Order: sequence, then C-alpha cells, then structure tokens
Amino acid sequence: MGLPCGTYNYSYAKDMAILRTKTHWALFIALLVLVFTAPLYWNNYLLGVANLIGITLIAAVGLNILLGYCGQLSIGHASFIAVGAYTAAVLTGTFELPFLVGLICAGLMAGLVGLIFGIPSLKVKGFYLGIATIAAQFIIIWFINHLSITGGFTGIAVPYASIGGFVFDTEASQFYLIMTIAVLCVFLAKNLARTRIGRAFVAIRDNDLAAEVMGINLFYYKLLAFFIGCFLAGIAGSLLAHWIGFMNAEQFSIAESILYIGMVIIGGMGTALGPILGVIFIRLLQQGVMFIAPMLESAFPALPAGFASGVSPMFFGVVIVLFLVLEPRGLAHRWMLFKAAYRLWPFSY
Amino acid sequence: MKSRKLLTLAGVIFLALVMAVMPLMAACAPTEEPTTPTTPTTPTTPAVKGPLKYGMSICMTGVAAEKGSPMGHGKLDCIKYINDELGGINGHPVEAIWYDNAYDSAKAATIVKKLMSDGALFFTTNSSKMMMASMEIANRAGFPGFASFSSPVCTNPPKHIYAQMPDYGDDFAAFADYYMKNIWKGEGKPKLALHLLNNPTGYGARDAALCLVDDLGIELVATEEHTATTISEMESMTRIKAANPDVIFISSTPAPTAVVIKNAFELGLYPGTVIGCAHASFTSALVDIAGASIVEGVYGVFPTCSWGDDVPGMAKMTEYCQAYHPKDYGNMDYITSWAEALIGAEILRLAVESCGYDKLAAGDAAAWECVEKNAIQKINYDVEGLHGPAKYIAGDNRLDKSVRVFQVISGEITAVSGWTDAPRIPYENFPDKFPWAKP
Repeated sequence: MGLPCGTYNYSYAKDMAILRTKTHWALFIALLVLVFTAPLYWNNYLLGVANLIGITLIAAVGLNILLGYCGQLSIGHASFIAVGAYTAAVLTGTFELPFLVGLICAGLMAGLVGLIFGIPSLKVKGFYLGIATIAAQFIIIWFINHLSITGGFTGIAVPYASIGGFVFDTEASQFYLIMTIAVLCVFLAKNLARTRIGRAFVAIRDNDLAAEVMGINLFYYKLLAFFIGCFLAGIAGSLLAHWIGFMNAEQFSIAESILYIGMVIIGGMGTALGPILGVIFIRLLQQGVMFIAPMLESAFPALPAGFASGVSPMFFGVVIVLFLVLEPRGLAHRWMLFKAAYRLWPFSY
Repeated sequence: MKSRKLLTLAGVIFLALVMAVMPLMAACAPTEEPTTPTTPTTPTTPAVKGPLKYGMSICMTGVAAEKGSPMGHGKLDCIKYINDELGGINGHPVEAIWYDNAYDSAKAATIVKKLMSDGALFFTTNSSKMMMASMEIANRAGFPGFASFSSPVCTNPPKHIYAQMPDYGDDFAAFADYYMKNIWKGEGKPKLALHLLNNPTGYGARDAALCLVDDLGIELVATEEHTATTISEMESMTRIKAANPDVIFISSTPAPTAVVIKNAFELGLYPGTVIGCAHASFTSALVDIAGASIVEGVYGVFPTCSWGDDVPGMAKMTEYCQAYHPKDYGNMDYITSWAEALIGAEILRLAVESCGYDKLAAGDAAAWECVEKNAIQKINYDVEGLHGPAKYIAGDNRLDKSVRVFQVISGEITAVSGWTDAPRIPYENFPDKFPWAKP
C-alpha cells in the first residue's frame, strides 16, 4: 500500500480506510480548503476552467470505471455525455422540471443507453468492442440532430441549475455545485473499486475467462460497468448543459470521445487518482496552447503567416506523444514513484 | 538508473508546472499586437492613451481553419492598421485580445469567460458554431458580441448577440429570389435540392427554405446533409440526382462544398443543374480546392465586395493583405473580417465618445451595457464600402442586411448582381418549426 513505516492496522476498518495517517488527513483537508476557497481568489475565467475540469473529471471517472477497472473499451463516451446533457436540457428547459430531477434522470438515461450499447461487450472485447461503441457516437448524435424535442441541428437552450429556489447563476456558485458533485463521484468511484463489484471488474479486465470460472457473472458485471460509467457521463452532461447554457450536438464529437480515452490513459488507467491527473493535465494543456499563438505572434512578428497558429496543435500533440513514451503507465504511477522516493529521501535504500 | 532519475525529475517538474500553470494563465494574457508594418507609415495621432480591449475568439486551427485562418489575419491586420496609421480610436490604441478556439466548443466556452475576465468590451467569433458555444454564457452576463458568419439562432430572439452580416437563412432567401427572377425560365415550380453541412451553417439555410419555398413558388424535392470532414458525397448526390432537381443550394464551408460539387460533376449533374452556395461556402478556397474548371459557373451569395472593387476601404486592405498575408489575397473571408474589425473600431469610437474611457476601462457589466446601448445599437456605418452598411434596427440583431450574388467566371468570383437587402425572415411566426425563435 506504500504506507509510511510504523503505520499498523489494528482493525479491518482501519485497513480499509482511504485516509490512513495524520498526514493524509492534513493534506486532504488542505486540498478541500484550497479547492473550496478558490472562488475567493480566482477570477471567472479560472473558475470556468476549473468548472470544465470538474465536469470532465466526472465523465472521465466514469470512463475509468468502464475502461480502467473493467477493461471495456468505449470510444463513444462523448455521446453518452450528450445523452445526459440533452436529457437535462429537455427536462429542465422544455418541461421545467427541477434541476435535481434532471440531473438524476440524465444519469439514468445515459446509463440505460449505455446498457444498450454495452450488450456487444458480451461477444467482443478490446478493439472490436471499441469499434462497436463507435456506433453509439454516430447513432446517438444522429438521433439528437433529428429529433425535434432536442432542437435538432439548431440546439437547445438550458436554464441555470437551481436547487430549492437558489439559482446557480454565477461562476462561483456553479463551481461549488460542480466541485461538490465531482468530489462525490470520485469518492464513489474510489470506494466502488474496493467493493465486491470493483474486484469483479478487475477480475474481468485481467482475464474474463478466469473470472467466469470463479463464478463472476460476466453479463451482469460488464453491463453494470457500462451502466455506472455512462451514468457518470450523464451526470457530467447535465452539469455541462447547465454550465454552457446552450447545447448543440457538435459539442460531442468523436474527437472528444478519443480525448477522454487519452485523459484516462495519461492519468493512469485503473487508479482513482489517474482520471484526476489526466483531466487536469489535458484540460490545462488545452488552455495553455490557446495562449501560444497570440504570444508567439506578439513576441515574433517576423514569423511567417500561419506559423504561430500551427504551433499550438503541434505542441499539444508532441507533449502527449512524449508523455506516453516517457511515462506509459500514467501520471498516477509517476506520483506513486515520487511519493515512494520522497518517503525514503535522502536514503534511497 | 540515470534514466530513472531523469524520469523522476521530469515527473517533479511536471507536477510543479501543473501547480504553476493556473496562476500563470491568469498572468500570461496576450498583450498588444506587434506594430511593425512593412510599408512605411506615420501615425496621424500617437496612441498614448489607455487601450480599448477588443475580444476575439478565432478558429485559427481545427477543421474550419481554412476559413478561420484568413479571417484571423484580416481582423488582426486591420487592428494593426487602425493603431499604426489612424492612431487608434481617438488616441486610444485598440488592444486585440484573441485566442484560438480551434473550432472546439469547450474551448470557446472558456474563451468567452477569459475575454470577460480580461476586460474586453465586446467579443467576436468567426463562426455560428463558436458563437453558439459562447452565446448563452455571454447573454447571461450581458456581454455583447457579434459573429461574422451567423445562423438565425444566434440572433433570434434578439438578446446581446449580433450578426455582422446576413445569416445563412438570408443567403438562401437572396439566392432563391435571384434565381426566380434571373435564372429560372421553365414552367411551373422549379425543383430545389438542399445539401447542408450538418450544423447551423447548413440548417440556417434549411430553416429559411422551409419558411419561404411556398411563397417563392419553389418545390423542395430533396434535403441531404454532410459533415465538415466529408470526403465523398456520391451516395447523397445520387439520391439528389434521382430527384431531378433544377437547382441545388449548398450551405457549408469550402472543403465539403468542393466535395459536393465535384461529385455532382462526376455524376453529370453539373453542369446542367444550377448550383448556388451560401456565403460560408463561397470563397476563393472553394475554387482552389475543387478546381476552377469544376466550379465554373457556380453561383454564390456573399455579403462583401470583391477584391479589386472600387470602394474606399479596398486600397488599404489590399496593401496590408499583400504586406502581411499575401496568401490570403483573393480570399473573401479576409475582407469579411477586415470589415468586422472596422465595425468593431466604429463601435469602440461610439462607445468612447458616449460612455467615456474611464467607464470603458473597467471592462465590466456597466461598460458592456454602455457599449451595447450607446455603440452597437447606435451604429450607422458604411464599412468603407467593403460590405453593406452596418445599421441596427430594433428587434433585428443583424447589423448588415445586404448581400450580392456572385458567380465563378473564368475561375474568378465575380459579382453578377447589385446589393440586395435581405428582409428579416419571421421565424417566430412558425413556432412549431422553430421553437428557438420564440420571443
């Protein structure tokens, strides 16, 4: 477990605790304080980026359960987010239902749609399943574009989220809402991985034949992984809809789906920390490259036309490639190594 | 062992960078644009006062870069011209705060927030898609903006978002009117097929067609759609061919439009059938991508003048384009965005004169309200002849309402009609078809 020397477990509950030492608790509380006081010293833009990270994190946690823990490749994750977003948009915008009803229904609807597209997982796996889930990307988006209730190609406006008369109409209030739900989702995922269900997921991922021989119901657990992963995607979609305020199917492209896989891989598949680090890394990198072209054009006016704007996507791609080459096991693994090295420092033996 | 240490070091550096990036992002907003013209110029008034911040969300990269890139160049060159040669706006330099949205909705949503945080007085986007990703955030905050290329949904119902030029629906209305008056010589109703990009660019035209075909006496026989990255439309064009249309209208961007026209050519559907394009399709990029011989005779609607037209703004725009971005010469998107920057500058001039710089310098909600009420809604500007006059009429958030019909003749995009006003299409009269237009 990589705990400091002298940390003993006198009970099963202690052994299972997520936060085991005083340092863990101190760091955790410090992190919570840092995150939840951020609106005091961050401007709306930084809060907006944090909100985007929070929403993305919820969806990535879902994909991590599906891909990282259960080993079921899904290349249609953005479409499941779209299902959640449009469910929330229609329920709260058109039918004027409360936000929380929309939120839960968004998760359930995305989960149910995920179940349908998860059925092929019983017959195929790996890249074959990936190709099967691409169908979700096209079919779901086609339906969204051609249903009148979703606003078709034009899109649909979504009101602010509100709970009990309190309207989340500022970036700061949205930040608290999104971060609270994101923390809950991460906590749920972390605990899920340590339950019977989580162990069944890992067994299926590592060797589904052996898992079946041990008595694990592949049909049930694979579909459960799809449901949970897509449920979280739906929750993320609902929050995204209320945050942006206007939904259009183009916001859920296949490129976005692939980016989600990239986040999980870069962060570290099958770890609770992985999606957090992966999402922060990719979203901050995206924001960072946004500044590159204006800065280059400003600093080097003699650069050929178009060069500066071309540097941004190149930089984005190169960083990801380098990262995968240098640390294929993800940021979470690097963090574990850092912690181990830090604990032993200055004696590396 | 050595590589292990290096990897550890790289990890530590990365984590430190992640922690540092958040505050850095707040500090690393772009500063003033470089001001080093290749042509010798002398500022008429030195720009020494505080800057006026003009926000831009530009798709310099991504799948729409063939339009976004020349548009970005056009507006940034124009700002350079305004600062260097005109001494800014009443002595205030125009500070172009721009970010590359890469035609990505999530980025566009954060960019509009960044522009608000940066204190921009208003913002612009090139495309309707990027505006749609930004507009509700802007509308909620009262942050005014306008899109160069827009869809009816951006301005209906009218809120804080404006359209620089007529939208894709207006393109259809103008082309259909021209077609019925000047091209159609047959008996009865001409058969129309639509080939649309599967986003608001395409469906803006479709919505107008649904509103207008009965009144215009046109029969809509086929509606097909394509993606921005399509490489073949043989299947959809075969279906269109089976419907035997007299005219095909395409509302898309240049690359997919080129694919559609090439496929029509290969199927023998064109020449023979009249092809018309909305303005997002119809630039020199279309001729370059498809080939001049294939698109010869294709019609298009465009709301700006052509390169080389005898209008007041042409000489300076041409000079800057050839000095800084010669590859964009001949591209009408460059004209569009140069005109956008001129309109932006006029808005800033009106705002400075009516609100005062101190109020604008705050770049807050009060400044935005002042800019919208006293500048955008008071504008009456000829845009130096580069497109129709920009003028606000209450209830109609399209600033310019004029278009012209062009045709590819000998490989050149040539005007074949005068300026025509595109009347506002009353989408709100069809609430069942267009729920987004409800007031």
